[in-house]
Amino acid sequence: MSADVSDLSLVRRVQRGDKGAFDALVLKYQHKLVKLVMRYVRNPAEAEDIAQEAFIKAYRALPQFRGDSAFYTWLYRIAINTAKNAVVSRDRSPIEYDLDRNNTDESYDMQGRMKDSETPEGLVLTDEIRSTVNAAIDALPEDLRTAIVLRELEGLSYEEIAAAMDCPVGTVRSRIFRAREAIDRRLREVFEGGLGRVEELG
Amino acid sequence: MNEELDSQLSAMFDNELPAAECELLARRLSRDEQLKARWGRYAVMGAAIRAERGVRLNAALAGRVSAAISSEPVLAAEPAPQPRKRWAGSWWQPVASAAAVAGVAIVSILWMRQQMGAADSVPVTQTAAPGVSVPLVATRSVPSRATPSINTAGSDSYTVPRSPGRRLIVPSTELANYVVAHSEVSSPMARRNLLSAFMASESGTAGTSAGSEEPIEDVQDDAKNPQ
Repeated sequence: MSADVSDLSLVRRVQRGDKGAFDALVLKYQHKLVKLVMRYVRNPAEAEDIAQEAFIKAYRALPQFRGDSAFYTWLYRIAINTAKNAVVSRDRSPIEYDLDRNNTDESYDMQGRMKDSETPEGLVLTDEIRSTVNAAIDALPEDLRTAIVLRELEGLSYEEIAAAMDCPVGTVRSRIFRAREAIDRRLREVFEGGLGRVEELG
Repeated sequence: MNEELDSQLSAMFDNELPAAECELLARRLSRDEQLKARWGRYAVMGAAIRAERGVRLNAALAGRVSAAISSEPVLAAEPAPQPRKRWAGSWWQPVASAAAVAGVAIVSILWMRQQMGAADSVPVTQTAAPGVSVPLVATRSVPSRATPSINTAGSDSYTVPRSPGRRLIVPSTELANYVVAHSEVSSPMARRNLLSAFMASESGTAGTSAGSEEPIEDVQDDAKNPQ
């Protein structure tokens, strides 16, 4: 099976004018992209801005995407270039980050956004989500926990997991699905009102 | 929500769903907000399990991108062409191009041979301005009728064999121009083959009749310049 078949089906839909399919691609890769960009910038809010710009650039360039490489590989390159350009641009205008020198509007705005991205509430929410997921994983039966961890943490394919767990590929698919369902039941409570503070999904 | 659909969604998230099922589910996913929310939570789970430090799991990034994209124009209906499919779907196009180029080549060669047979090779004598060096065309093929003279001190005239030089250069230029003008309907490989074949033909002719490679260089220049 092609490693990129589902991404490609979404990409083809976007290329045919379906913007909703692009939402799915953003939802899937936003965390990976922000993590990637954070190799270049330390500030989470700035990393999100760069990731946002990279997604928009990718959308505009999507008509030229032929599927010769995986979609994420292509997106990865766009994000890296966008991050590098942002760093160069930032280095050329260091005043934005020199908060002590001049209290200009730009530097003030940046200071505010830095604070906003690191508010205790924001950190609590992220921690809450993480602890919810981890607690749900700990509560899983051994076979489901192994399957989901091998998939998400080790990045193994279903076939590789089947070989590792000595079971059919269909069983792996079922175990991963059931593990996700169990985690999702708890996670939904966090997102749908348990805390009532979630800014927006994903 | 039905379990089979969720199972498919989970497999699709991992790029483990067969292509045919992906097509159908991708369509539904792009329109069903509830399904999209679940898809988003799958992504959050993965990020949480990997403990990606510094990444906000409740960020509004997806919503911001979606809002920005909503003001963008809808992408073109036709995705970028895929070379393999295009080749397979229109196999007759390269064949037709090659046939057209071959036809042009045959007509051109026949025309040139006809021209070469009809032309004479009477040299003309020109008087050069004193001190001006004029490039010469070798005339070894007609040594008895035209005596080439190098512009040495004390010599104020030279002999240029007019017809052979013209025969070797002008038709090549015309042919090159013709090929360039029809480049839209011929492939680059076909054009290159045509010019190579022609130059090889000219080389043989020049070697036997004129005995010089200079006109061939002119042909090559003419062929290169338009491109």
